[in-house]
Amino acid sequence: MDDPLIVVALLLVAACATAAVAVRDPERQALVLAVLGTALAVLFTVLQAPDVGLSQLAVGSALTPLLLMLSVRKVRRRERGKGRTR
Amino acid sequence: MTPCTALRGALEVVAWWAVLFLLWLVLIGTVDTLELVVGAAAALVCAVAARGARRAVGGR
Amino acid sequence: MNGWTATATAVLALGGGATVWGVATGPLGRRVVAQNLSTSLACPVLLLLAQGYGRPSYVDLALVLALLGPVGTLVFARLLAEDLEGDPPGARAATYAVAVFGATVVIVLCAVAGPGRAMVKLLVTGALLVAGNLVASRALAGGFSGSRHG
Repeated sequence: MDDPLIVVALLLVAACATAAVAVRDPERQALVLAVLGTALAVLFTVLQAPDVGLSQLAVGSALTPLLLMLSVRKVRRRERGKGRTR
Repeated sequence: MTPCTALRGALEVVAWWAVLFLLWLVLIGTVDTLELVVGAAAALVCAVAARGARRAVGGR
Repeated sequence: MNGWTATATAVLALGGGATVWGVATGPLGRRVVAQNLSTSLACPVLLLLAQGYGRPSYVDLALVLALLGPVGTLVFARLLAEDLEGDPPGARAATYAVAVFGATVVIVLCAVAGPGRAMVKLLVTGALLVAGNLVASRALAGGFSGSRHG
């Protein structure tokens, strides 16, 4: 009944996931991951699973990027500090 | 703590509570007694927290 | 498939494809703007889907996205502040276009829903969506750099 919508959402998720794999820089990868979280939430809604979509939104749109960016930042700072003492 | 500031604090909490309770009323699906009781209690807790947060930010 | 879901499909195909392309290529500033626009574009899509499926409770998804999407963008604006200082991303036209689209969707759905609690809920979602979009865009463009600590 809603086949075109499901196809579009699936294509969007596939394109986004491929981009998340192809991008090398971790900070840019976090950006692509945030978009992927939103696309996945839309896909879950299209597949009539709004509860899964809700938790995906809560985790994927703010929490995953925050954790990724914080850890990237911490690793960079540690490397910079090590370079200074050397 | 003078009576004036206490009264002002209480008024602020009541104002926050009214706003939050209205928001709860708008967002719930069905309006019945249990929902109203839970909403009133949660709005009171959040109103006290909101006053604390506002004072923490404003007193910077 | 009705008019609501058809509109959602068209918006998802065009806007979603554009944002995925924008977030996967180009300079860092464009990617951040594309991420911001993807959340503010998915929110009206979810609203349209809720109307199309005839399930008002799906509006909760749009409400959560309208609240958390700008939070995610603010995370990037705060943690990428040093990298974005060189060329602050503007994209004013796209931001306003998406904000106007979201407001239009909310107003149309309000007209369909009629007065009542459902309409107030839609209005709350729309206000959060537009305000969050504008605040996040301003933060990305460095509008709040004066109040930043450290």
